[in-house]
Amino acid sequence: MPPMNLFGAFAKTIWTRLGSMSLAVILLVVLSIASVIGTVLLQNQSQADYLQQFGPLWYWTFRSLGLFDMYHSWWFLTLLGFLMLSLSACLWRNIPRMLKEMKSRRPHLTERAIARFRFRQQWQTDDADTLVATFKKTLHGWEFRETEENGTRYIRADKGRWNKWGYILVHSALLIILIGGWTSVQFGFRGDMSVPEGRSESEISFLKGTSREYLKMPFEVRCNSFNIEFFPTGAPKEFRSNLTIIDHGKEVLTKDIIVNEPLYYKGVRIYQASFGDGGSSIRFKLYHLDSSEKTETIDTHVYETWKDKNTGVSIEVTDFKPFNVENMAGPGEPKDFRDLGPAVEYILRGPGLKAVKIKAFMNPFIDTEGVNQGSFLLVSLSGNAADYKPFPLGIDLSNEQEWKLFHAFFQHLSDSSIQDKKKRNLLAFKAAMKDVYGDTMPKNFQQIAMRTLQAVNVLPQLPWPYLPMLEDYDQVYYTGLQLAKDPGMNIVWVGSALLVIGMCIMFYMPHRKLWLIIRPDGQQTEVRFVGMVNRNEMAFASAFNDIFMKIAGESAPSARA
Amino acid sequence: MTATTVDASWLSSLNQGKIGFTRFCTYLGLMLGISAMAMFGNGYNEDAFLLQILSMQGVLWGGTGALLGLACGAVLGALKPSLNESRFALNTVPWLDGLLGMILLAMLWSLFEPAAAQINYEDQSNLVSGDIVMAMNVIFIFSAVSYIAYLFAPESFIGRVATLSAYAGVFAGGSALLLRWYESYLLDMEIGHAPVSNLYEVFILLFCITSAVYLTLERRYQAKAMGAFVMTLVSAGVFFGIWLDSIGQADIKPLVPALQSYWMKIHVPMNFVGYGSFAVACGAGMAYLFRYRLENKGSQSRMLAIFPTLDQLDQLAYKAVAIGFPAFTLATILGAAWAAEAWGGYWSWDPKETWALIVWLIYGAYLHARVSHGWHGKALAWWAVAGFLVTVFCFLGVNMYLSGLHSYGRLS
Ligand code: HEM
Repeated sequence: MPPMNLFGAFAKTIWTRLGSMSLAVILLVVLSIASVIGTVLLQNQSQADYLQQFGPLWYWTFRSLGLFDMYHSWWFLTLLGFLMLSLSACLWRNIPRMLKEMKSRRPHLTERAIARFRFRQQWQTDDADTLVATFKKTLHGWEFRETEENGTRYIRADKGRWNKWGYILVHSALLIILIGGWTSVQFGFRGDMSVPEGRSESEISFLKGTSREYLKMPFEVRCNSFNIEFFPTGAPKEFRSNLTIIDHGKEVLTKDIIVNEPLYYKGVRIYQASFGDGGSSIRFKLYHLDSSEKTETIDTHVYETWKDKNTGVSIEVTDFKPFNVENMAGPGEPKDFRDLGPAVEYILRGPGLKAVKIKAFMNPFIDTEGVNQGSFLLVSLSGNAADYKPFPLGIDLSNEQEWKLFHAFFQHLSDSSIQDKKKRNLLAFKAAMKDVYGDTMPKNFQQIAMRTLQAVNVLPQLPWPYLPMLEDYDQVYYTGLQLAKDPGMNIVWVGSALLVIGMCIMFYMPHRKLWLIIRPDGQQTEVRFVGMVNRNEMAFASAFNDIFMKIAGESAPSARA
Repeated sequence: MTATTVDASWLSSLNQGKIGFTRFCTYLGLMLGISAMAMFGNGYNEDAFLLQILSMQGVLWGGTGALLGLACGAVLGALKPSLNESRFALNTVPWLDGLLGMILLAMLWSLFEPAAAQINYEDQSNLVSGDIVMAMNVIFIFSAVSYIAYLFAPESFIGRVATLSAYAGVFAGGSALLLRWYESYLLDMEIGHAPVSNLYEVFILLFCITSAVYLTLERRYQAKAMGAFVMTLVSAGVFFGIWLDSIGQADIKPLVPALQSYWMKIHVPMNFVGYGSFAVACGAGMAYLFRYRLENKGSQSRMLAIFPTLDQLDQLAYKAVAIGFPAFTLATILGAAWAAEAWGGYWSWDPKETWALIVWLIYGAYLHARVSHGWHGKALAWWAVAGFLVTVFCFLGVNMYLSGLHSYGRLS
């Protein structure tokens, strides 16, 4: 055999294998199993996280298999490519045959063919014409063809003759969808952009494989404002950004966008995706913890780090939130949502200090009975927000007098020489009250006393030189946008529509065929009624029976199965 | 399972021929009228769509649509009589009747709602829909027990009780969901939303759809013995629902911004048509395996007489998948359309999406395995059962174990 021919035979075998159903089943199962991996292994995280999670050996194994961006890895794409090849092969092979089959409706049947039908009835009649008329009337909407051979009449009725179009549509649609997907990946982009209120931005960033890349848009987006609306329960109801598109220095379009309602400009869709702090101005009040009663204020911004030259202590502000709605109910109690007010998050570092993450609230904590429990912090020694522990400070630092009272009390305590602890506290507190408030005692002085005592136990223990509390703020949000251009999308929609239509045809419009074969047999006429369907035989069985009862009942007293 | 014979009661004649087709067109007109209101009326109001439908505006738009539909149906039926035999129309009308029945029931229940002053968000236990869901739970469990009893004592009376209670359960569940939709507005106009937004709500939807799909198959193919398996699955779900309720997941909660879209109202129910049908296919597969074992042991049990044959069970499973697969395909496409609108891409390989694809691929493979040779009977019955396990993971497991954008189903 010449090599050319061998190759041809080989190619033909491959092509046949590609278009076979067993390959389709195998491909579908393999694809589904492969897809599982990417749902178990979180995709597109930072490489450092992966390295930490898996250790170097597995990290490099997974990385070289492309498992961190699995759905775009070469082997997954190859699988999809095989699916496309397989679909093309089976379409190529089947379409001509199916088109021919759909057209040909030969009424004639051989005896051997008749014997093979699963649905068959046979009876005698003496009025063939009425029978045929009833047959045609019963099968309203069917297509008929007739022929006569050797005195035998063959009447064929078809319904759903175009059923195979369902198959063609479904499989072409899948091909179209895959092509659309490929177009999207090849010619489209999608990335994130964060724009602080009042500023503009023109670059998006996205992950490609294992690295972050940037892309310049042909226009600028300015965020004029960002707003959040809340439900009465405190849950967010709506995120709304007011955006202006600036194209070549000209403002061309201003519009609000919310989640589910994007903006469309020059083929690029702009979506509301997230939000965050856009660098709010933060004013801290530093309460010195060296018993000097000294305070000072500093101004900084979110994402900035303020550094104290004298002590080497630094405050890195990481976030600010004007509302902090928490469920204050214990487990099992009805929910009780309350807003704890503005809070700033920062990391405090310094020479000889363990870095801690702190969330400091501006307002004191007012418990469910309306009692002021003093200012408080959430402190996380690990730096992880999940490890926040509440840390009550005792005194209410939003009230300047309590800070003074604390110091006066501390002073009187250390001056006092009384041995009895209870008595010493009482006298010191009385003296301190007099120092701060004069003769007019505040109404809730008992609570203040308790809290001051608490502060005396807590504040001197703190290792930091001072305590930064939130004094004032001027909030700025950033709006997190997602920008996407997807030229393959419309191809996918066309494919999807064809897919659904094709499936409806394939599943719900089966091709039903019925034959009436009438052969004069002496005085009587012998009638045979046979039928077949290419899908859903159970429904056809009852329909076949119904039709048989109807036509046989009217034409023959001696119907027999 | 014998062939259905022509049923001549006047009630069923409503669902046949000319009357059935005209009624179908009327329903269609009604729905188109309401869709038109959403698109062209005073604007679609995401916050109060149900109230919009129930207001004078909705009555006008819907009523006009219904009348136009009625007229079109009558004219078309007269012009082209074959339309009057349209199987699609005639098979759909009973479903729409059922939906109308549920709406009427929900209106009836709403008369028993507590006074506005007594309704509050923090404690929703006095709302009526909770009681109806409880009734539904009891009815479905009762139905499952009756179906199982029917297997061991194949009296037609027991069979009828089982079927009727399954119907009652569907109506209780459906009307409870509709009522819950209405109640969400009673809590607060801003909270109001369609009851397909959390695990508890979609569970009730799943029970109703599974039972309804099963009942349709039962009615058409006399496959009562299969009910023991399907309704047992539903009952298992009911216990899960009761557990969800007990840990406080049954409360009506406001919608997060990502879910405030009309897509949710079509995407989620369509998905559950798929899930429900796959559950029925799983029931048929289990029935198949059960019968297979009985036969292999040479059992002479009376049960065999009422069981569909192996071949019929095989076809019933296929039938259920044939309902579920296109619905699931459409649901996935609708999900992609929503994602395209909300997240900027129709496909993000989010775990939920990926698992939906996996489920789809597995049932696609099931359908192909059926057509190609060698794959029939027992292996496919196992496939139907295993496919449903994957479906359950897609539905529950993904929300509970994997992270992603579809976090709404997460227990909170
Ligand atoms: C994601 C991929 C595919 C899907 C979703 C799909 C879908 C379907 C469906 C739903 C059916 C009807 C099954 C039934 O009648 O019960 C079908 C039939 C069929 N498919 Fe596919 N298909 C896919 C891929 C393929 C591939 C790759 C091939 C070729 C190798 C193929 C070949 C066939 C054939 C030959 C039939 C039988 C048609 C008939 O029954 O008349 N399919 N397909």
